[in-house]
Amino acid sequence: MYPLRLFLKYFQLTLKVTLQYKFDRVLIAAAVMIREMAGVIILILMLNRFVMIKGWQIDEILFLYSFLFLSYSLFVFFFTGIRDFEDLVYSGEFDRFLVRPVGILFQVIASKVDYTAALGHGVLGIILLQKTASQLGIEWTASGILFYILMLLGGALIQASIFMIASTFCFWTVRTTNLRNMLFFNSRKIAAYPLSFYPGLIQKFLIYVIPFGFVNYFPAQYFLKKPEMNEFWSGFMFLNPVVAAVLFALVCLVWNYGLKHYSSTGNALY
Amino acid sequence: MLIQVEQLVKDYQLNKNQKGFFHAIKNLLMPEYQKKRAVNGISFSISEGEMVGFIGPNGAGKSTTVKILSGVLKPTSGKVIVNGMDPFRNRKKYVSQIGVVFGQRTQLWWDLPAEDTFDLLKTIYKIPDATFKKNMDMFSEMLDLHEFLHQPVRQLSLGQRMRADIAAAMIHEPAILFFDEPTIGLDIVAKERIREFIRSMNQEKGITMLFTTHDMQDIEKTCERMIVIDRGDIVCDSKVDEIRQFSDSERKLTVKFGRQYDRIELPGAQMIKEAGNTKTFQFRTNEVKIPELIAELMSRYEVLDLTVQETDIESIIKQIYEGGAPAYESVS
Ligand SMILES: Nc1ncnc2c1ncn2[C@@H]1O[C@H](COP(=O)(O)OP(=O)(O)O)[C@@H](O)[C@H]1O
Ligand SMILES: [Mg+2]
Repeated sequence: MYPLRLFLKYFQLTLKVTLQYKFDRVLIAAAVMIREMAGVIILILMLNRFVMIKGWQIDEILFLYSFLFLSYSLFVFFFTGIRDFEDLVYSGEFDRFLVRPVGILFQVIASKVDYTAALGHGVLGIILLQKTASQLGIEWTASGILFYILMLLGGALIQASIFMIASTFCFWTVRTTNLRNMLFFNSRKIAAYPLSFYPGLIQKFLIYVIPFGFVNYFPAQYFLKKPEMNEFWSGFMFLNPVVAAVLFALVCLVWNYGLKHYSSTGNALY
Repeated sequence: MLIQVEQLVKDYQLNKNQKGFFHAIKNLLMPEYQKKRAVNGISFSISEGEMVGFIGPNGAGKSTTVKILSGVLKPTSGKVIVNGMDPFRNRKKYVSQIGVVFGQRTQLWWDLPAEDTFDLLKTIYKIPDATFKKNMDMFSEMLDLHEFLHQPVRQLSLGQRMRADIAAAMIHEPAILFFDEPTIGLDIVAKERIREFIRSMNQEKGITMLFTTHDMQDIEKTCERMIVIDRGDIVCDSKVDEIRQFSDSERKLTVKFGRQYDRIELPGAQMIKEAGNTKTFQFRTNEVKIPELIAELMSRYEVLDLTVQETDIESIIKQIYEGGAPAYESVS
């Protein structure tokens, strides 16, 4: 099968690049993990004084976190090219993609993998998941595991969509990296806490604008079964794949529209 | 005609002072662009097996033209048909039949040996094992790729990298090749090597080629036809031989006079430069004979010193850019 064979070939090359600097990359992955872990530790210290806040135990909040780390790990594993799309355009590499008889998005996705971030976030996510799930006594049934994995994939796709919307602006040679990072990472920070902690406006923002709520809060309810879920439509719990698919499809349309306006970059030298 | 370009225009849109997200949104809704015309309604055609040099100063629109021909950019207006297809609309089908070298950026994976990129290209273009091996052997022999194929690309010299890049653009046996400044930054030996290879590929395999350069030597040594482009316009499209003939017949005569003359008349020659008593004239050997001209000069004026120089193609091209061109007709 051609696309799969090509994807694996790219995979082989990106892996080979990473392995060239094994030591380097392992250090970076460790650094990423420590950086993220610092955030988690600060959270634990802050919340440690309370047994519960607004009906949430620390372990439950950390369980929410596990969704964020693991889905981000999947996101960078599959979509680093979208995250770093601006570099791709400004370095002129994107022109090269256009002269190859392969789908553009395919090349963007396949040609770049940030293994260090995938590893850093992934390992931390697994640690958190393992610790909290046993504390919370979550029983891993086959359907539960399947549900969890599906939610991670959907979460990765939702995050990819957010980055892809931002990358569309590159076609009009507009730099929006800072704003994108600000929006994305702040939304992610907010989404680290349960949605019910926030006033309605922020809740709506994380449901309808930058739908991080579907990355962790709603899917987590499937396992945590908090009574506060009554305040939302119960369907939200399962909506993650739908949100992901619809959002990604819409974003692809916009992206393809932008692609028609692509005007390349001027010469690097002149 | 394999390549047909008619009235091709490309405007870039520059968004001035429109940084940031909100401006970007505003831009999408109410575009407020400043236009920059890079290609200004050019027309030309290239037949199968031809090798055409595209020469012009920086910013002339060469790269833009190549990007349009290779399907990267959408023309603002005009018609481009290559191999029976519209490069931009039929991109995916079209690009499998062309090869493109962007001289200033490599397509080789920087951190990996070049052979890995070839391996990837083999998969991308679905090249059968036998064909791949045959081509790799040929390139190894002609370009000495085997010497450095296993080294990470970042360790290669510019000349080695360029050779590998050219081979990479040809590994899938394209019918048409576009090169954008394939010799830029190379030393004479490396340049010569690439010219030789390009020429033999054109002659032996009949690959149609268009390449851009701002080095006239590239064109003299490889192409039969050249197109001169300046500020988005084609200013000359002719056989290299014809320009060479012209340059063969054109001479410059520099004379140092013994005293000040207000007016100097020399039939068949025109004064083009004046610095004190030293004046430079231009003439053509098919119009006046050198001995006659000098005899005439000596009989009329007091002369201390004189030199006769050939005009090389380079300076003729320069004249063409500068608009002081001798009248060239398009011969395509
Ligand atoms: N992506 C771009 N956006 C805006 N202007 C561009 C872009 N690329 C080239 N230009 C402008 O278009 C003109 C032609 O550029 P180019 O085709 O690169 O010339 P050349 O290759 O002959 O040096 C130049 O004035 C250049 O500044
Ligand atoms: Mg150029």
